[in-house]
Amino acid sequence: MPAGLEITAGDNIQNYIATGDWTIGTAESIRTRIGHVRSDGRRGGVIDLSRLTGIDTAGALMLKQLRDHLARQGQHVDVTGLQDRHATLVERVIQSGEVEPLPREQRRPVMDWLARLGMASHEAGIEALDLLYFLGLATVSIVRCLLNPARIRFISVLSHIEKVGLNAMPIIGLLSFLIGIVLAYQGADQLRRFGAEIFTVNLLGVSILREMGVLLAAIVVAGRSGSAFAAQIGTMQVNQEIDAMRTLGLDPVEMLVLPRLLAMVIALPLLGIYADVMGLLGGALMIVATLDVSTAQFLERLQGGVTVSTFWVGLIKAPVFGFVIALIGCREGLKVRGSAESVGRQTTRAVVISIFLVIVVDAFFSILFSTLGL
Amino acid sequence: MTAAAEPVVRIRGLRTQFGGTVIHDGIDLDVRRGEVMAIVGGSGTGKSVLLRSIIGLNRPTAGTIEVLGQDISRASEARMQRLKKRWGVLFQSGALFSSLTVAQNVQLPLKEFTDLSPPVIDDLTAVKIAMVGLPHDSCGKYPSQLSGGMQKRAGLARALALDPEILLLDEPTSGLDPLGAAAFDALIGDLQRSLNLTVIMVTHDVDSLYAIADRIAVLVDRHVIVGTLEELLANPHPWIHEYFHGPRARAATGN
Repeated sequence: MPAGLEITAGDNIQNYIATGDWTIGTAESIRTRIGHVRSDGRRGGVIDLSRLTGIDTAGALMLKQLRDHLARQGQHVDVTGLQDRHATLVERVIQSGEVEPLPREQRRPVMDWLARLGMASHEAGIEALDLLYFLGLATVSIVRCLLNPARIRFISVLSHIEKVGLNAMPIIGLLSFLIGIVLAYQGADQLRRFGAEIFTVNLLGVSILREMGVLLAAIVVAGRSGSAFAAQIGTMQVNQEIDAMRTLGLDPVEMLVLPRLLAMVIALPLLGIYADVMGLLGGALMIVATLDVSTAQFLERLQGGVTVSTFWVGLIKAPVFGFVIALIGCREGLKVRGSAESVGRQTTRAVVISIFLVIVVDAFFSILFSTLGL
Repeated sequence: MTAAAEPVVRIRGLRTQFGGTVIHDGIDLDVRRGEVMAIVGGSGTGKSVLLRSIIGLNRPTAGTIEVLGQDISRASEARMQRLKKRWGVLFQSGALFSSLTVAQNVQLPLKEFTDLSPPVIDDLTAVKIAMVGLPHDSCGKYPSQLSGGMQKRAGLARALALDPEILLLDEPTSGLDPLGAAAFDALIGDLQRSLNLTVIMVTHDVDSLYAIADRIAVLVDRHVIVGTLEELLANPHPWIHEYFHGPRARAATGN
């Protein structure tokens, strides 16, 4: 039933008669109506609810607002005709006190932006120190285990090598193969203009072996396993498993971090070699299929253009990448506090930071190698 | 009114099965308008599953569930949408949206499903938050800044945002200290009377049964036994006897 508010004037008294359903669906129209109500300055007033068919919290709020609206105009009104079944609700809302305005967030765009920038810079600094601390912790743990190799959990290391290395082979193989194809195709396209198509083989060999193979493997592993490390350790942190470990006198770094570090340092170079092979295969397939180059020519050219040191220069980076990825993954996992939400946040951070650091480390290696003249 | 005689929730022959495990086997249950129905049972007897089935989050293997005369497994999308505005659900840990403040949590259904203007929504939000006994300064806080009990109160305010007819609660007092639990029971009883709600609550808490339940549905042996507290106290079933006469129950009754 539509809601209404009828106003009749008697002797010395004004009647406000509420009709229909005062509910959440009609509250807006009632509010508009209330806004137009003007008390005519007589002393008394009565809000009559006897013709009300239904009321809910929103309707009761409107009733309160009508009363307050009239009070502001100097007319104090009584409420009559309140039905028993509505009484408790209406009393409850009216008793809920003065409706204070909800707090509004103050926005200062420039200052907020500056504050965020400041906080982010501060956090980055803390993060770097934190990482250094954790690196120290891990190093101490590594040295301790190397002095007493029985402490290394070989089963755990093997299980992580399987997860990090073996299980990543299909995706890394496929990606390297495709990258090999793309490199060969794009390279041939450019070199053809100079009639130097045959150098596509050199381009392919050097770029895959020196950079792409290992870097690709590292990035895929950071996304796959760096995140998994953070999520596994983070979940254990939420379940208080890490605390339980500490109270049992077990060292979480030795139990959780070390096996992952070792597994990653072993698995990533192997994955790097595998990525190199698959990348070269992809490129070879493309070159032999589309250029006027036979397999024998390809192999001869490859032997001429690529030295063993090219391969080693690429591969030497892999254990370092692996160490960085595992370190960051475990660190972010251990930084999880409290909730599942935090696990998600730290996992994302683990991936972002480890990929970032892998590329930074790669750039340092480039500088180092060029200084050394390799 | 004929609507009053009709049960608010009517379950017939409900069977729930997960893989080979049968949880409910032929449950019949009526919830009358305006009553507080408590669902109790041991761990793994499917109390929460029953609640989830009633609100359509869990599809039963067989049987029908009618809520406000609507068969929820056959209702069209549009009817279901209308039905959802007539019930409010409080999940175990409040299930507040963590990226929104308390006030925004309560406002969300109001903004989505009503044509109220922002000032009315603001006022109504403040009323709801006051009704569940939260201090006004909690409006601007995020769920993570609230204690467990306050999160539940805020969740209750959100469940009540659209003035539902049915309020479903999943273990409302779990995780609260005894005083907080008693206060929450009192709050639910109070709101139930003033808003004329039908309440269906899953609970572990014997105190809650004594405090507010009109009738109790006990899930035992994949079936349900419904009765008032007095009837169940006299029930000879071993689990029910143990539950209502065990040490914790004696503590609740005070003898």
